[in-house]
Amino acid sequence: MSLQFDHIQKSFGATNALRGVSFEVAEGEAHALVGENGAGKSTLLKILAGLVKADRGEMRWQGQAFAPSSPREAIEHGIGMVYQEMLCLPNLSVAANIFCGREICSYGRLDETAMRSRTRAVLDRLSLKIDPDALAESLSAAHRQLLQVARALAFDCRILVLDEPTTALTDAEADHLFDVLRELKKGGTTILYVSHRLPEVFRLCDRITVLRDGAFVGTFTTADVNTNDVVKAMVGRDLPTRAKDSDPSGRAEARRAKADALVTRRLTFTPSFRDINLSVAPGEIVGLFGLVGSGRSELLETIFGLHQPASGEIQLDGTPVAFRSPRDAARAGIVLVPEERQRQALLFNLDLRHNLVIPKCTLQDDLLINSGDECRDAGRMLGDWRIKSAGIDALPDSLSGGNQQKVVVAKWMATNPRVLLLDEPTKGVDVGAKFEIHEMIRQQARAGLAVLVVSSDLPEILALADRILVMKEGGLQGELSALTATEEDVMRLATHDMVRA
Amino acid sequence: MKRLRAIRELSTVAILIAEVLFFAWYLWPEAGRAHPFLNGENALLILKYSSIYGIAAVGAAVVIISGGIDLAPGAVIALASVIVGHFFVAEQWPLAPSLIAGLSIGVTSGLLTSLLVVMVKLPPFIATLGVMGITRGVAFIITEGQYYDVSSRLPSGWQPVGVPIDWLAPIVMFAMAIVFQILMTRFQWGRSVFSIGGNETAALFSGIAIGRVKASVYVISGLLASLAGIVLVLVQGQGKADLATGYELDIIASAVVGGASLAGGRGSVMGAVLGTLIFGVLRNALPQIPGATFYDRLIVGVVVIVIVVADQLLLRRSTKS
Repeated sequence: MSLQFDHIQKSFGATNALRGVSFEVAEGEAHALVGENGAGKSTLLKILAGLVKADRGEMRWQGQAFAPSSPREAIEHGIGMVYQEMLCLPNLSVAANIFCGREICSYGRLDETAMRSRTRAVLDRLSLKIDPDALAESLSAAHRQLLQVARALAFDCRILVLDEPTTALTDAEADHLFDVLRELKKGGTTILYVSHRLPEVFRLCDRITVLRDGAFVGTFTTADVNTNDVVKAMVGRDLPTRAKDSDPSGRAEARRAKADALVTRRLTFTPSFRDINLSVAPGEIVGLFGLVGSGRSELLETIFGLHQPASGEIQLDGTPVAFRSPRDAARAGIVLVPEERQRQALLFNLDLRHNLVIPKCTLQDDLLINSGDECRDAGRMLGDWRIKSAGIDALPDSLSGGNQQKVVVAKWMATNPRVLLLDEPTKGVDVGAKFEIHEMIRQQARAGLAVLVVSSDLPEILALADRILVMKEGGLQGELSALTATEEDVMRLATHDMVRA
Repeated sequence: MKRLRAIRELSTVAILIAEVLFFAWYLWPEAGRAHPFLNGENALLILKYSSIYGIAAVGAAVVIISGGIDLAPGAVIALASVIVGHFFVAEQWPLAPSLIAGLSIGVTSGLLTSLLVVMVKLPPFIATLGVMGITRGVAFIITEGQYYDVSSRLPSGWQPVGVPIDWLAPIVMFAMAIVFQILMTRFQWGRSVFSIGGNETAALFSGIAIGRVKASVYVISGLLASLAGIVLVLVQGQGKADLATGYELDIIASAVVGGASLAGGRGSVMGAVLGTLIFGVLRNALPQIPGATFYDRLIVGVVVIVIVVADQLLLRRSTKS
């Protein structure tokens, strides 16, 4: 009898986010909550965290009706939340972050010593070697994520709720997180784990609850099901596991015969990467794999004109080019779909129409705006890219992650680029939309676009790319054919030295 | 979103109308006497004095929508008036080149701000705080505590391009409001300003020339402030270093009351102009209420807060549904 959800209903305006969801998280288990974006997971978590109130239904926490009216109340009842966005105060120390809002005081003054020592105790429990006085901004993404876990533990949480905690972590970092979580579970902490990544869920959790369109689909015991069963429950249909071209080798040969669209020669941007030689032919999809910190994002950003290379050369269709800004690059036909669409790609104060047409008309240097044409263009893009929205007047906020990402891809494809750079194109995107986005990228490649895609999602890169380049610590480590490569091959190249050491 | 923007401007108009109706009722005279507030002459007076704020508020709205802030307009107004006075009175230049010299000082100060914000990457608050000091300081150095009596050189009853001098200021204000409203809503440039204010990183990644657009925003703010300055010289007939002291905050307040968000990405030029009229009416009517003389700053302050809070409630409701 631990945490029960009983017919929880919640609607926002006309949208039914949750339509009577009931399930139970047993004491001491690791319970996964999965579902596509928009399935209602976040809303459920917000209700549990005291951020929003359910319209109908009730939660029971250790047998008692439980309806926190604020995050503080939820924390006081032992609910420890680890949010996806890694809420942290970059300007404060690790200890200050952990005790933020519940500082230890003695006679009204902050008791730094007590907080420091308790921080040290919690960090030890997580086997983290972090200085309690270090500034949060100096921590790696993984450590910032674990800082939130530490924060929850410092408040003696009875249930630890994690929302997509591995989104920004490398596999090694995620492994560490799992070790920590398994230890906590052994110690009796109940875990509610929300994720898109099914392999993780299978590694960690005892039971899996699936939500779809705000409704409860079922709770499965992990031992009794496989990934396909869960995916089917999530999307309500079968998905091809590996949607690869039937004859990629022949096609790849044909593509290779064409002159390369994008070439870099000894491209160097210290300290991020050095001496990068790569080429992408029209119609070819080249995958670039590397762990966080390998310089892969910086490489894309440099090709896109955000950074000036220290040395080396970029060639577009055989001509050397030097871009001083993304504007120059986009004008020449190289566009980038950046890693963080919320921060780097979408304008949340403007509607979809504006978001969709901005690159095109910015690059054309149109002085005047032709509203009629724009509405037509934007409307057509919504249709072509199958973007689910309330129409061109909708704000990007109202779209799911997958549809937001389609908006970003669509706005750039409207400029008819020669080269498409993609940085983690399906990060935080649900399974169905991921599949659609992959298919759309392939379609564009078939039409002659040169695509360079960075991803830390191995199955994705294997499914999508014709060739795979592996980057490590700023250098190119090697090239693999996607036809023959396995996940292990790629990972071995990316971590070669680590394995040896 | 379009609907939202329309609602926002309508509500500013509604506040203005409500305000006028209130004072018309409150100051209703005894039978047979002229209404002290509700008459054509007084309306023109309100318009004339609001226009100085209003012209500069057009620029302030543009800057605020871009996510920046400009603290220099008051000082630029003063320096422009001094420059016009210096060339027109002390140097005995003809009027037109003197006015152009006044405008060019606004462009210069705007360029200086752009340089500091775009190239040196100072926060706009700091950059324009500095430019405000420099501009005001130059005005004092030029005048050495004196003022230029521009009106003495202007022929009496002088009408620039056939417009009575009292009408000039409101006409300039509405012309600028219309021009910039169109630039902001119908032109590529205006949309870039909204984009940068909404999410500067995304704007950069979208291929918008953010340096160029941000620079243009501060130059426009400077230019419009100096335009307000030369209009003030023509209306008041004086070029003085301590003119328009403290105007920068009233101008920012007008833009905010008119719907501009200091976080950037939201607001309108028309709203800012309506905002200055709301303050103009208050400044005109409050002193006419017996005993209210000492309360007017307080009331103005309360009004700013009430309107912005009401705006936020309205916005929250409309985004929820």
